Amino acid sequence: MKVIDEGNKGVAEGTLVPLDELGLPPSTTGGLLIVFWKGQ
Amino acid sequence: MGPFETSESCQEWKEEYELPFDVIPDEDGTIFKKLSNGWVPYTLLVGSDGKVVLWESEFEEEGFAAVVEKLFQEPTDAQAEPEAAVRAVPQRAGRGLGANIVILGGGAGGLVAAHHLRRKLSGRDRIILIDRSPNHLFQSSLLWHAVGQRRADQIQRPLSDLTRKGVEFINEEVVEIDAASRQVRTKSQAIDFDFLIVSLGAQLRPDEVEGFDEMALNLYDLEGTAKINAALDSFSGGTVGVLVTDMPFKCPAAPYEAALLVESFLRKKGVRDRSEIHIYTPEHQPMPVTGTAMGEAITKVLHKRNIQYHPLFTFEKMDPSERTIIKSGGEPQKVDLLLAIPPHRAPEVVRSSGLIGSSGWMHTDPHTMATEHEGVYAIGDVNSIRLANGKNLPMAGVFAHYEAGVVAERILAEIEGKPATATFNGKGYCWLELGDGKAGIASGNFYAEPEPAVRLYPPMHPWHWGKVLFEKWWLRHWF
Ligand SMILES: Cc1cc2nc3c(=O)[nH]c(=O)nc-3n(C[C@H](O)[C@H](O)[C@H](O)COP(=O)(O)OP(=O)(O)OC[C@H]3O[C@@H](n4cnc5c(N)ncnc54)[C@H](O)[C@@H]3O)c2cc1C
Repeated sequence: MKVIDEGNKGVAEGTLVPLDELGLPPSTTGGLLIVFWKGQ
Repeated sequence: MGPFETSESCQEWKEEYELPFDVIPDEDGTIFKKLSNGWVPYTLLVGSDGKVVLWESEFEEEGFAAVVEKLFQEPTDAQAEPEAAVRAVPQRAGRGLGANIVILGGGAGGLVAAHHLRRKLSGRDRIILIDRSPNHLFQSSLLWHAVGQRRADQIQRPLSDLTRKGVEFINEEVVEIDAASRQVRTKSQAIDFDFLIVSLGAQLRPDEVEGFDEMALNLYDLEGTAKINAALDSFSGGTVGVLVTDMPFKCPAAPYEAALLVESFLRKKGVRDRSEIHIYTPEHQPMPVTGTAMGEAITKVLHKRNIQYHPLFTFEKMDPSERTIIKSGGEPQKVDLLLAIPPHRAPEVVRSSGLIGSSGWMHTDPHTMATEHEGVYAIGDVNSIRLANGKNLPMAGVFAHYEAGVVAERILAEIEGKPATATFNGKGYCWLELGDGKAGIASGNFYAEPEPAVRLYPPMHPWHWGKVLFEKWWLRHWF
């Protein structure tokens, strides 16, 4: 685990994620699991 | 999703790990900023309605799988109503038979809970404490043990002494917790409970790091600190490394205190000018949850004492034959004497009993420490509490101690049929032992919004004496 942007706070459970606006694929299959990962 | 990654690096990564799904770049980190708490890995589950179901720093496969499974079993609209704030008095107590209160773990949290409950409950209520270790260990003093300032017998007390106070002690390993049928099993017996306090701490897993036993000395257990002390005694110069292998780890101050105590030890031994001391940690600053000012203050002290600090050191592996440690994508670092903090995980019995949440730790109400299972509480290192700034409450004895008091009061109220009003307010403090008889102290409210409000009081001799007195008080008061 490492910190790459300390200012962020996360989103509250229940928040609507504007998938379109963020250019993310729509969750058409019942849900979406997003994992942020960094190689190095 | 690759924050601050390009399409090319994401593609390479997809191929390297043969991932059957797309890896999308987030080149300028916009999406990461909008959705994450700034740490990687960071995992977010979005429901079919586009709303966040949950998020976690880290990815804990078992915990996530359990949550997803549950979501499929219980569609959100069919979920049960939240429990009433005050539950009914347990049946056994109601029948005048007294309640069975079982406490798992005789560490900081379990010990305090047992003591509080015994003082206030009548003799017909049983308090049963189970620990696989015969002794309670005052873990903060491990650091003094490492530098020869304490003997092992000075920082432990037999848990069997609690029987004199009316607490039943079972010296066995807990192998199963059945929250639904309200029963705990050890290797030789099954014990029913009306109330259960889980205070099993964090399990240290050096076995998850290949080569650990050959190269590293464990800074977090008594065997390890005894070896560190012997190694320091015969140390005639070279490189000492303090390594944090993984996050989270208990007592965020400990790696810094360890390095400072070792520095002082080597100086007094006359070999400091022939030695280098390094701290390697995945954190971006010392004690990140307490804010920038605290981090800067500690970094300054390290600098003054010529201790090299390597933040964002994402440990990958160690090579005992070369005596090197390597971070992901980094050059090997040579270390002659390696003091390491092993990975921490929720205890095996908690995992196998299906009690962990998506974080990989037990989830509780942050104020009452109640779990989703009636009459079951989790306190101390075994629970994971999220703060307003998106980070977790550090694992520290001070929180286990205060949480234990709250849970004891709540159980007492429930047994007496009164509304349970005691709550944990997030206040805590932490000494920072600097060596040379000096310590600093950080104290504040970790539940403050939007950030924990923590103040660092500058290093002085009296804080060190405060820490010594606290140790003496702790080991006398509870035994
Ligand atoms: C080097 C070091 C320095 C520290 N310094 C400080 C400090 O200055 N200030 C501070 O606030 N905190 C400090 N801490 C952290 C503090 O010690 C812990 O946060 C605290 O002990 C947590 O209490 P707990 O009750 O949750 O777990 P623990 O105290 O770890 O107790 C857990 C107990 O459960 C038992 N157990 C586990 N699994 C089983 C099982 N399956 N069956 C039976 N028994 C089991 C263990 O034997 C243990 O006795 C330090 C820790 C270390 C290692």
